[in-house]
Amino acid sequence: MKPLRQLALHALIAASLLAAAAPAVHAHPPNASDASALSLLPIAISVSAPAMVLSAGAVLSVVAVEASADGAVWVLVRASDGARASLRLSGQLAGAMSVAAGTTVMVAAISTGWVLSAAGRAIAFIPNEIGKALLYNERVTL
Amino acid sequence: MNARAVLALALLAAAQGAQAGRSCERKLPDSRSVERAMTLAEHTAQRLDASGAQVVLVARVGQDLRDHGQRYSHFGIAYRDAPGAPWRIAHKLNQCGTAQAAVYRQGLGEFFLDDLYDYEAGLVVPTPQVQARLLPALRDNRRLAQLHTPAYSMVAYPWAQAYQQSNQWAIETLAAAQEPSISTRPQAQAWLREHGYVPDALHLSAFQRLGARMTAANVAFDDHPNSKRFTDRIETVTVDSVFCWMSRSGLGGAVAVVR
Repeated sequence: MKPLRQLALHALIAASLLAAAAPAVHAHPPNASDASALSLLPIAISVSAPAMVLSAGAVLSVVAVEASADGAVWVLVRASDGARASLRLSGQLAGAMSVAAGTTVMVAAISTGWVLSAAGRAIAFIPNEIGKALLYNERVTL
Repeated sequence: MNARAVLALALLAAAQGAQAGRSCERKLPDSRSVERAMTLAEHTAQRLDASGAQVVLVARVGQDLRDHGQRYSHFGIAYRDAPGAPWRIAHKLNQCGTAQAAVYRQGLGEFFLDDLYDYEAGLVVPTPQVQARLLPALRDNRRLAQLHTPAYSMVAYPWAQAYQQSNQWAIETLAAAQEPSISTRPQAQAWLREHGYVPDALHLSAFQRLGARMTAANVAFDDHPNSKRFTDRIETVTVDSVFCWMSRSGLGGAVAVVR
């Protein structure tokens, strides 16, 4: 066998073995420091809503989504009485994939604010004063 | 098939394998994990307030590392400018499984709003003297960036400079803040050795090393000395080793757990 062909065969065998082994090995990565994706969750910057719209257990429906360069504005209406809320959100996904007009949104109240969710996925967080003090994001290096 | 075609195929297969590890899922979290993360952030802030400290090491449990004898996966250095001011945390994050990382200053909410394995924080309060020396460095972006190496390997060797993982950046930054003459990573590492820091050794077989290297962009072993690498001992800066050292050396207190 010519040397190049031999090398190529060895490489092919090695690659096949690795491809076969990869899932098992990947299940136990030696990760001693998080390989962290930054949180993609949209955060509300401002809310214009009657206070009771954001009560625990409220069911809202998305009426409109307007994307902007750094986030989006969502208009929500409460199913029970038609009360409206407008949210200005920051975050990469605020205008992209998280909601569309017609999406049903659940409200959960927690001590730091309100979690909006659709089909079990959190789609936005609206911080209260306690929550605001816990949120800040600044990239220090390139 | 000629030899060149076989070689090209082999390389392509290997490249696809490598790509598979570079995931950056743009997926929203489930609502329960957001509730738990924000609640943990609030409880941590309350504990930090009650500590009376201005600078505290804060760790999270990003994944289950019990097989490696580790509890926490990642830590940053939290501080506040004055009593009543919000806590901020300086830490280094790897971007979506790439070979690059950057330093961030974030709120406790962002720190815990990640895909955590367990909703527990570990806190270590440094001595007042260590805190006083760290505080000006934490406020100063130039000093936070000074010892940062963008090239990232999650198992970077503690005594080399080719790569730098998150916990390594934090401990080297802590070292540099303690001694004004330190301006380089070798100097910071020398200080850590002099002050008794000992990294933990993870036991990874050749097979695990090869698999990890081929499937993830953010794992490298070429900075480790051969003598250790080939005996399956991969030394790196773990949170648990840092916390033990802080307490052992008298630089800080015992670990406090927040849930």
